[in-house]
Parts: sequence; C-alpha cells; structure tokens
Amino acid sequence: MLKKGMGLIIVLVVLAVAVSGCFTKGGTNLKVGMVTDAGTIDDKSFNQGTWEGIKRAGEELKVETKYLKPGGTTEADYMKEIGNLYDAGYKFIVCPGFKFETAIYQAQDKYKDAKFVLIDGSPHAGDGKAVVKENTVSIFFAEHESGFMAGIATALQLKEGEVGFIGGMEIPPVQRFNWGFQQGIQYANANLGTNISLKAENVIYQGSFDNVAAGQQLAAQMYDKGVKAIFCAAGGVGVGAINEAKSRAKAGQQVWVIGVDVDQYSEGIYDGNKSVILTSAMKKIAQAAFDMVQAEKDGKFPGGQTLTFDASNNGVGIPDENPNLSEEVQTKTAEVFEKLQSGEIKVSDQRGNLIK
Amino acid sequence: MWEIIVQVFPYAIAFTIPLLITALGGLFSERSGVVNIGLEGLMVVGLFSSAITIVNLEKFMPGTAVWVGLLVAAIAGALFSLLHAFACINLHANQVISGTAINMIAGAITVYLARNITGSGNIHIVHGMVRRTIPVLSDIPVIGKLLFTQTYATTWLVLAILVLSWFVLYKTAFGLRLRACGEHPQAADSAGVNVYRIRYIAVMISGAFAGLGGAIILVTYSGEFSGTVAGLGFLAIAALIFGQWKPWGVLGATFFFGFASTIANVSQAVPLFARIPGILLKIFPYVITLIVLVMFSKSSQAPRAAGEPYDKGKR
Repeated sequence: MLKKGMGLIIVLVVLAVAVSGCFTKGGTNLKVGMVTDAGTIDDKSFNQGTWEGIKRAGEELKVETKYLKPGGTTEADYMKEIGNLYDAGYKFIVCPGFKFETAIYQAQDKYKDAKFVLIDGSPHAGDGKAVVKENTVSIFFAEHESGFMAGIATALQLKEGEVGFIGGMEIPPVQRFNWGFQQGIQYANANLGTNISLKAENVIYQGSFDNVAAGQQLAAQMYDKGVKAIFCAAGGVGVGAINEAKSRAKAGQQVWVIGVDVDQYSEGIYDGNKSVILTSAMKKIAQAAFDMVQAEKDGKFPGGQTLTFDASNNGVGIPDENPNLSEEVQTKTAEVFEKLQSGEIKVSDQRGNLIK
Repeated sequence: MWEIIVQVFPYAIAFTIPLLITALGGLFSERSGVVNIGLEGLMVVGLFSSAITIVNLEKFMPGTAVWVGLLVAAIAGALFSLLHAFACINLHANQVISGTAINMIAGAITVYLARNITGSGNIHIVHGMVRRTIPVLSDIPVIGKLLFTQTYATTWLVLAILVLSWFVLYKTAFGLRLRACGEHPQAADSAGVNVYRIRYIAVMISGAFAGLGGAIILVTYSGEFSGTVAGLGFLAIAALIFGQWKPWGVLGATFFFGFASTIANVSQAVPLFARIPGILLKIFPYVITLIVLVMFSKSSQAPRAAGEPYDKGKR
C-alpha cells in the first residue's frame, strides 16, 4: 500500500511541476531587470517611472521583473549589479540616468547576448563619444518640448505677472527644461495675448538635487518679489519649493509651482483636493520603458539606435488632467500641442539668446 | 540690505531651530560624558516617526496631528537612543562606533519600515506647521519685523526648551550632578551620584531632542520623509563644539550656521549677493568653523570625561 501511495504522490508531484512549468513558460522566458540610479525606487522621478513601466510590462506582457539597487553610484557599483542581473538570467536590462553611460559602454561588449536600455544617456567610454552597439538602445527625451508646453499652459492660465525657474544641477536635461519653458512663455506672449515676464534673476540653478532647505528659501525669495509661479526641475530642491508654496497657499496667498518629470499634482495638495501644482512638465519614462520591453517581445528591439521621445510620439507633455487649468486653457494648450506635434512649431534645444 | 535681512530672517530661523534643538540634545549627552555622534540617525528616527504619525492622523485632526507627531518623534528618539546608552554605559563600548552604528541603522530601518507600512520610501504630509505673525509684538520697531513675523510655534517651543535647559544644567542639583559626571565621574560616584542613571537620562534627553529636531524639519520646511536629514545631525555636532558645550554658545553657533547658509542659499536670487561667487558663500560657515576650532583648540572646554566609558573598578 505504502509503495502504491508513494507512486501516486510522485506522479502528482511530477504533474504539478510540469503544469507549473507550463504556466511560467505560458508567456515567454524574457526576464527584465533594472538597476536603480542614485536615490530610492520610489523617488517619484526616474527610478520610479522606469520601474512602473517595467512592472506594467510584467503584468501585461507576462515577463519576469526585478530591480537591484547598487551600493553606490560609481561605474563599478553599476557593473556589479548589471553582472548580478545577467548571472541570474535577466538579459534585458534597463538603466535610468546619464550616470550609467560608461557602465553600459562596457556592459554592451561584456555581455553580448544581453540587451540594454539606457534612458537619458548614450554609452561612451568617458570621452563623450557615443557608441551604441547592436544590443543597446539609448533613449532621450525632448525636455525642451515638455518645458515649452508647461510654459504655454502657465502663461495662458496666469495671463500676466512674473514667473521663475529653479533648476537642480546645471546639466543638459535640466537646461533644456529651462530653455523650453522660456520659449513657451515667449511664444504665448507673442501669439496668445499673454503678458508674462521672466527676469534673469529669477532663473536659478541651485546646484544640487537634494537641498530641501535651499528650495524653500529660494522659492520664498521669489514669491516675496512677486513671482506667481515657479517651474522647479530640481528633485528634492523642488520638494522644498512645493512645501513653501503650500504654506503660502494655506495662508491665502495665490502661488503656484510647475512640477517636473512626473505629474506632481498629489505632492502639492494642501487642503482637500486643492494643490499648488499648476501643471507638470512630464517625461513619460514609464511609457518608454514599457515600449522597449514590448518591442523586445515582438522581436522589434531597436538595437543600435538612439531614440528620442518627444511631442510627436507623445513622449513628453503635460498631464492629461490638470485640475488647476481652466477648460479654455486646456483646449488652447492642446491646440498648441498639436502644432508642436505636426512640426508647425519648433522648439530649440539650444540656449541661443535665452537666460542661462 | 535691510529689506533682504528682514526677508531672509524667518527662513534662517526656520533652518536654525532643528539644528539648535539637536545640538542642545548633544550638549546634555556630552556634558554627562557620553559622546553622541548618532544625532543624525536619531533625527532620522524622529523625522520618520513624526511623518508616519501625522500622515495617519491628519485626516481626522489636521491641527493637532502635527503636535502629536512632534511628541511621538521625541519619544521615538528617546527610545532609539537607549541602544546607544546601553552600548556605551553598560557595555563600555566605544562611543564613536556605537554612534556610527545608530546612524547606519536609523537610515536603513526607517526606509524599510516606511516601505512596509505605506508602500513607499517617501512619506508626504499634507498639513505642516502654519506660520503666524504675532499680533502686537510684530509692531515693535526692528526686532518685531525680525523675530515676530512669520514664525512657527515650534520656534518658541525650542527657545523655551533652551531656557529651561540652561536652568536645569546650571541652577539645579540634577544639572550639577550631570556636569560632574562629564568632568569626573569617579568623583561624582564617590559623592553618591548614580553615574549610570544620570548618563542614561542624559542620552535619552539627547535622543528626544534630536527626534524633535527631525520632526521640526518635517513640519516646517521639508514636508516629506525620504530617509535622510542631509547631514544636519553632524552640523549640530559641529555647532556644539563651536558653541563650546554651553547653551548660549550653541544658540550663537547654530544661528550663525543657519543665517550663513540661508544667505548662501538665497544669494543666487538676490542681485546684491549674486556678484559674490556662490561657492564662497557656501563654504563660508565651514571655513569660519575650522578657523574658530583651531583658535579654541588650546582652550577647548570639552567635558573632560566625554568619550570615556565609566568603569567603577578604575578609580
């Protein structure tokens, strides 16, 4: 009896293993890994956006997902985690942030059968000369177009008055946000009948992404000088600015912040559903990460290419819902966005004669 | 120039207050003979516990949630500092290493807890401390504008604690015993003072104050917990040394740091300061600290027994 019973159990176990094996193989055996940049996975910015896209791919496309957080932000730290993912069978690796540039440059040669997605950077050997191999895709965003749309929406909603800009470090993506924003204001003043001014003294790069106190203090200075809305592309510095705006809004003063990277509306809530976030200049990072996983699954991985997510492929823009913008403003903004998509309006990604 | 100072002042004070209360906590601990470089970690613990409290309570009672959060932060800081107290006092561990361990544990455990409780390593509070202008006092010429406009209630709380601390340290028997434990614990012990007990109390006070400091950062200027206080705990230790382990000295040192770094931060937005390279303004407080420390190194008034575990056997 005992032997018969054992036999039955063995058969059952074998069956169970076989069946479960079928389920895991039901989708595909693509394993998608991610290495995080400085900061945590829920930084409400780059890491989180990328991870949300990968998680969505995990659910909708049935791929396995995993992220690893490196111990530091040096090339060696990144290489170690990329190697760990590779050894664990994760051969589709997404890395957010320009700091991965040199690590990906090495990894694309070292792990030839793995695929890499580098967001906001292009692999190079430390000399700035981009080398994108067949197993790598480098993704950029048109921050200037995103900033432009935020500038248009801000100008239309405020109609007149002063605005300001606080950036984090003076690096290309942040600069492009700034330049785009300025062009948006200029465009609105010239073509949409607004009268918004942006003084040179109110365009500031704080110099870090984590000095919360400085964010508050800078924002306070600007608001005291009569600035009505500040565009913050500055990470933690922006958190301080948002907090200052919240205090002032609670005291009855009308001040605004324009968010960055993701829809920051919920971060600016100070009472019920009211928020100090006028709108946000978004980069649809999650979408980009998801698209790349999908492309790989469909066998259309754009290896060797450098892609730009801009208005024409809906990679940048302001959120779909903006409770602080009037209907009229939203309609007009959408019209401008269409012109931007069709190429009728061109936004420069160079400084030209703009401020800073 | 005057206008700029008036404008900057409330923010300089807002930045000074968490530093002041934390440094004051360090003062209690060090004057009792226990070096506490875990202040940074204790601030993070306070920041976290107040954030989690406020975020859960503010839906029901937005006004009082902030105060409950401050109280919880102080208690959590005091409890967490028991680790340091136990290691340093009972186990005679190296106080610098124990403090470093506190800093490392605090940063990690709070983010871990935050993620497990709220699902995210960042906690946002909606309602912080409201800034108020005090009616009559703010009309006083000069100081009214500087001290009584746009102030947080926590500022006055901390200043009251400062006065109270000075009184306790210098005017009560407990204060005298505490200071004796930091200067010559053997002598204090032979006079019948329970050195262990005094040091436990002092370390717990430092934990409570540092926790409060972290919570004040949350309810005044950051509004968010993200697992760090960006080195303010270490700055508080520097201020403690700069202030020569004395309450009023600490007040002066923290205010100097607060004012100088606020000026450095806002310099970019003020045309008058924009001419000075920002980097000079940013390093200014630290350079001054270095110079002062070098100048005072001969006549430093550090508690003599600070950093030494008290061993009853060694007399």
